[in-house]
Amino acid sequence: MKLGRREFIKLSATATAVTAFAGLGFNMQPSTAKARLLKTHWAKETTSICAFCSVGCGLLVHTDTSGSGRVINIEGDPEHPINEGSLCAKGAALAQTLENENRITTVKYRAPNTDQWVDAPWSWALQRIAQRVKEARDETFEESNGDGQVVNRTEGIAHIGSAEIDNEENWCLQAIMRSFGLVYIEHQARI
Amino acid sequence: MDGKGFFIDLTRCTACRGCQVACKQWHNHPAEDTRNWGSFQNPPDLSYVTYKLVRMEEYVENGQVKDWLFFPDQCRHCIQPPCKMVGDMDDERAILQDFDTGAVLFTERTNNLFFDEILASCPYDIPRLDEATNLQGKCDMCFDRVINDKLPACVLVCPTGAMNFGDLDEMRQMADERLEVVKEEFPNAVLGDPNALRVIVLFHREPTRFHHAAVASLHGPGRFTRKQAFAKMFGNRKALI
Repeated sequence: MKLGRREFIKLSATATAVTAFAGLGFNMQPSTAKARLLKTHWAKETTSICAFCSVGCGLLVHTDTSGSGRVINIEGDPEHPINEGSLCAKGAALAQTLENENRITTVKYRAPNTDQWVDAPWSWALQRIAQRVKEARDETFEESNGDGQVVNRTEGIAHIGSAEIDNEENWCLQAIMRSFGLVYIEHQARI
Repeated sequence: MDGKGFFIDLTRCTACRGCQVACKQWHNHPAEDTRNWGSFQNPPDLSYVTYKLVRMEEYVENGQVKDWLFFPDQCRHCIQPPCKMVGDMDDERAILQDFDTGAVLFTERTNNLFFDEILASCPYDIPRLDEATNLQGKCDMCFDRVINDKLPACVLVCPTGAMNFGDLDEMRQMADERLEVVKEEFPNAVLGDPNALRVIVLFHREPTRFHHAAVASLHGPGRFTRKQAFAKMFGNRKALI
């Protein structure tokens, strides 16, 4: 069929008319999608509390049960009275604090007077931290202050926490830092 | 049953971007390279790995910023999806519409389709192409969650109640009721194409102020491509193309 300008306009008009009246008669193709299994279907579900701020939103954490035990998904807990399932952008991205290829998983050590970071083994790093804490504490520990009151503290060490550690980890840190006699226990959010 | 639907109440959106992140998190989508391009709207546009994006526009009048408009953009899951109409001409299994929920789903066969045609058919500027695989992607209504009786990730995460999800008739009723309330403060408030879509958005100002493709009707008639017109006229017989 030769499609000149006149025929084209006619055809377009027909098309418009058909479109106008055929709106409801659109031929529904068989279009049922297959049911899909949730990625969390076989996962273990545990509740937790978001680490980021003091609102304390409840979380559902889904972990792999096939061996690795890694986190598959973290989402808001609909049954938690604080947030009823909702989260902010940071909370929604919480799984990234655990499962992200950009995470640093080795100890980075920069020796004094260099600008180079080198990978150090964990065993060496932990040993060295313990040694330095012991030295600093021994040097600065004071049992009493100027007025003779018992204080049992050290002002030679400070501790900075992270916003990405959860309630239970914070408890352990707090307990160990207090037992050392630290008074300057700080959190990233106030820096 | 009418299937499922969303109601997005823009008067309640604070642009926290929880929905945008929750969408990435559920779909295991990677981050994108972002930079400061003069707006908090980041990444700047939807992409194959960004199904949900909070668009941010300043409402300027007489040189003064009157309002900052937030619009969580996503596929509207049209009740009669033009992308499927066009896609079916080339491959009927590339774009599916679920019978129960009405979700419009792009499958791994979308690489059999012509992206330019699919994009042109969408009145809301939604589908995006993955250059590497030639696959097309967009919001899938968290179909896997919905058929397992869970809310879509973006709706579950929303702290303000801007994002709502449920049976379509309930969402329509909710939208109508909320519109009445919002109109007292914003007389120009409208629902975006509420009878054609499963995602009903309540715009408290003129929709084009939020995004140029916020509602379809503003483009005027004539948005049908020739291929779409033929698809409607003759059904899906490839011989006629």
